Amino acid sequence: MNISALGKAVSIQSLGKSYGSTRALDGVSLNIAAGEFCTLLGASGSGKTTLLKTIAGFETYETGQILVDGVDVGPMPVSKRNIGMVFQNYALFPHMSVRRNVAFGLEMRRLAAKEIENRVDEVLALVDLTAYAERLPRQLSGGQQQRVALARALVIRPDILLMDEPLGALDKNLRQSIQLELKRLHAAVGATVVYVTHDQEEALFLSDRIALMDKGRIVQASTPRGLYEKPANRFVASFLGECNFIPSDGQEIAIRPEKLRVGRDLPGCDKKLEGHVTAVNFIGRGFRVMLDHRGAELAAEVDASDEIAALRVGTPVAFGFRSTDAMDIASI
Amino acid sequence: MARPAKAGRGFPVWLGLAPFGLVLVVLFAVPVLSLLKLAFGEGGFTLVHFHRMIDVPVYRSVLGTTLGIAGLVTVLAVLASYPLAYVMATVGPRARSLLMLLVLLPFWTSALVRTTAWIILLQSNGVVNALLMGSGLTTTPTAFIYNLSGVLIGMTHVLMPFIVLPLYAAFSNLELSTVQAAESLGAGPITVFRRIILPLTAPGVVAGGMIVFMNAIGFYLTPALMGGPGQTMIAQMIASNINTELNWPFAAALATVLLVATVTMLALFQRFFGLERLIEGGGGKAGEPFTVTSRGRSPGGWAAIVAACLVGAFLIAPIIIVFPMSLGSSPFLAFPPDSYSLTWYENFFGTTKWVAALTRSLQIAGLVVAISVVLGTLAALGVARMRPRWRSTVETIFILPMIVPVIILAVGLYYLLAPTGLVGSIWGVTLGHVVLATPYVFITVRAALKSFDGNLEFAALGLGASWATMFRRVMLPSIAPGIAAGAVFAFITSFDDVIIALFLTNIRSRTLPKLMYEGVAHEIDPTIIAASCLIILVTVLVLGGNLLLTKRKTT
Ligand SMILES: Nc1ncnc2c1ncn2[C@@H]1O[C@H](COP(=O)(O)OP(=O)(O)OP(=O)(O)O)[C@@H](O)[C@H]1O
Ligand SMILES: [Mg+2]
Repeated sequence: MNISALGKAVSIQSLGKSYGSTRALDGVSLNIAAGEFCTLLGASGSGKTTLLKTIAGFETYETGQILVDGVDVGPMPVSKRNIGMVFQNYALFPHMSVRRNVAFGLEMRRLAAKEIENRVDEVLALVDLTAYAERLPRQLSGGQQQRVALARALVIRPDILLMDEPLGALDKNLRQSIQLELKRLHAAVGATVVYVTHDQEEALFLSDRIALMDKGRIVQASTPRGLYEKPANRFVASFLGECNFIPSDGQEIAIRPEKLRVGRDLPGCDKKLEGHVTAVNFIGRGFRVMLDHRGAELAAEVDASDEIAALRVGTPVAFGFRSTDAMDIASI
Repeated sequence: MARPAKAGRGFPVWLGLAPFGLVLVVLFAVPVLSLLKLAFGEGGFTLVHFHRMIDVPVYRSVLGTTLGIAGLVTVLAVLASYPLAYVMATVGPRARSLLMLLVLLPFWTSALVRTTAWIILLQSNGVVNALLMGSGLTTTPTAFIYNLSGVLIGMTHVLMPFIVLPLYAAFSNLELSTVQAAESLGAGPITVFRRIILPLTAPGVVAGGMIVFMNAIGFYLTPALMGGPGQTMIAQMIASNINTELNWPFAAALATVLLVATVTMLALFQRFFGLERLIEGGGGKAGEPFTVTSRGRSPGGWAAIVAACLVGAFLIAPIIIVFPMSLGSSPFLAFPPDSYSLTWYENFFGTTKWVAALTRSLQIAGLVVAISVVLGTLAALGVARMRPRWRSTVETIFILPMIVPVIILAVGLYYLLAPTGLVGSIWGVTLGHVVLATPYVFITVRAALKSFDGNLEFAALGLGASWATMFRRVMLPSIAPGIAAGAVFAFITSFDDVIIALFLTNIRSRTLPKLMYEGVAHEIDPTIIAASCLIILVTVLVLGGNLLLTKRKTT
């Protein structure tokens, strides 16, 4: 199966939408390349679902436009947009078997019966559900239903595949195995994917690009590494992973906990400071040391060593970092 | 003999079940069985009456007409319910409550009042014809009543709630995302309706349709008053065989056929849906319910809105028309009236026969409420405490009088009570109403008991209270709203009934609806409209009073 030729570029231009007095989208602009896996990440209520629904065409918007492959899709009804949609609750048709569910979109496209059957078989094999084709959705586990929903969206070879927290209802182990599966599928079919989640690890693992949303705006859109290592501002830095803000000469230095070193000799550190230990906790791969530095609470994640294990709460300790590891952020 | 510890102390099951059980045996089973016996021959077994039903073309066609009309009414009710249920599911809460009221109002309005209002609206010099001819759409009056259309209008009007309510429940159990998934896969509005909405709402429609059909085959008043000779249904045939031909065995055979048809429908319903569906609503749901998003409605959706407005107007028209009409001053029924006065109300309260009938109706309803509340509450308590094994059977038996066509009960009781002389007093009709009304009390109290926390009962008993004290201090206060609702149902059942009164009262004991019926069947005197308004008012007062009481209780 090869959809990469069919995956289309999406360009969202200063989109605005309100629900009554709530500004759900406040001038969102985002360009998604053909075949890209783009994740919308953000806290609850930040507008992720709303953005996804406007791309799908389930909701209208007041300002801006959405171009798919350069064409404004605003006036196009949902049924003409050729999108694949995976809902958080899967939204399988409860009265149809797995096979009928998957075939539905192809029947809408009036394909020949033979071709429908072939394509359904092919996609069911892809998501490893061939044995379950004749079952009803309620006779499947959550993970299996999830894969049916995915197959149903993929089989129509959509221009864009939209997924709204598709793994939200699954337990952690299942989530991880389906994440792997998703990555494999995306590599295999190469569709343009817009994926919503509020799980950072999931976003980092899956995405080519992450758009971080807050209060109806996109705060920063970048590759996972770009977002983690070069956050545009304080909000991004502390939303994605943990971040220390060390006061220094009226300014603040932003640095991740794992970049801080603690102890007497600080190899490679060109910045050295002093603080007090407030807590030391073992976290498996190492220790998590909490420090007080001039009233600022800092966290450091360091490898296990006897020296660290011997640290006592309330004692002074030296810490430091490489100045190249400090992140350059706008102080808003 | 060892009894289970739980039943050992407190309220004995038999005390709950016996009183209503006895009433059902004497006043329901005996009359119905005597009819059956009559139908199959008093001397020896014979099927001659049933053969006659098939052999004589008139009777054959009545059976056909009954099934045909019931089928048509079911189809019409389904068609009219879809747009209404769709709109109810997709508008705001205010509009939804308003629509709900529109649907339930005909249900709560006495059959006689409704029918009277339809006749006023639809007769050849009625309101609708006046409007049609006044606007130049027609030049001669259109015959809406005393033919098939009259029967269909009258019956669909009152039976629609049985379909709208389960259909609305089905629409609100539908998830928005299911519909959106279909749209995203390329389905347009028509396909979404045909392939998603229709199959997912079908079970509710089928359940409602069966109830409508079951009810429709036993209808008496509407076809008698709004139909012509060609629309004679089986219930009318039973009545005319008793009243004019005095052919009891044949009437009994017709009643047997009606009974078998109804019980068959009931059995089918129970088989497919379970009887609880008659009593309780649907379950919970997970996702966002079906609604209209900012994209707005499709043209089909707008068409449904228009259709729903028309259906709404259809539901409410006869009920609102009677009020201004009752305030007119001319003896000719014109709408709107030329001038307003209270003439017809004065006439009502100034005529002995009207006042006597109203007083008697209130008296009977009072007695019925008192007796059926006791019987129904006891029965509910008994059923709640009995072993689960026989519970559903007993429950079914206890609600049977609601399901069996009233005409069968009326005729059976008439046969049983005529020799006793009870028919001339208010007691004959009171006993009949008790049989009809007690199932309502039983159902509402049973529902209240189901939501009553059994641990409270054990806690009170554990603290040393006797069962009687526990009942008075703990259980009664919490099931009181259920009892009150049951009392309201019982009152309205009795106060609105015509059919029992038709057979079990005479000129000395007639009730208000019976008196009105005699009038409507001949010529509509505006006093009848005033009486209709009074009936609606009493009903609304009783319902509103109950609503206020329960509101106050909960807040
Ligand atoms: N149908 C609606 N009517 C009114 N307000 C809405 C509606 N849908 C969303 N909103 C509001 O719009 C804002 C954005 O909601 P949205 O559902 O897009 O958030 P989200 O980022 O998807 O959140 P979550 O992670 O909780 O799913 C919220 O403030 C929400 O309350
Ligand atoms: Mg959301």
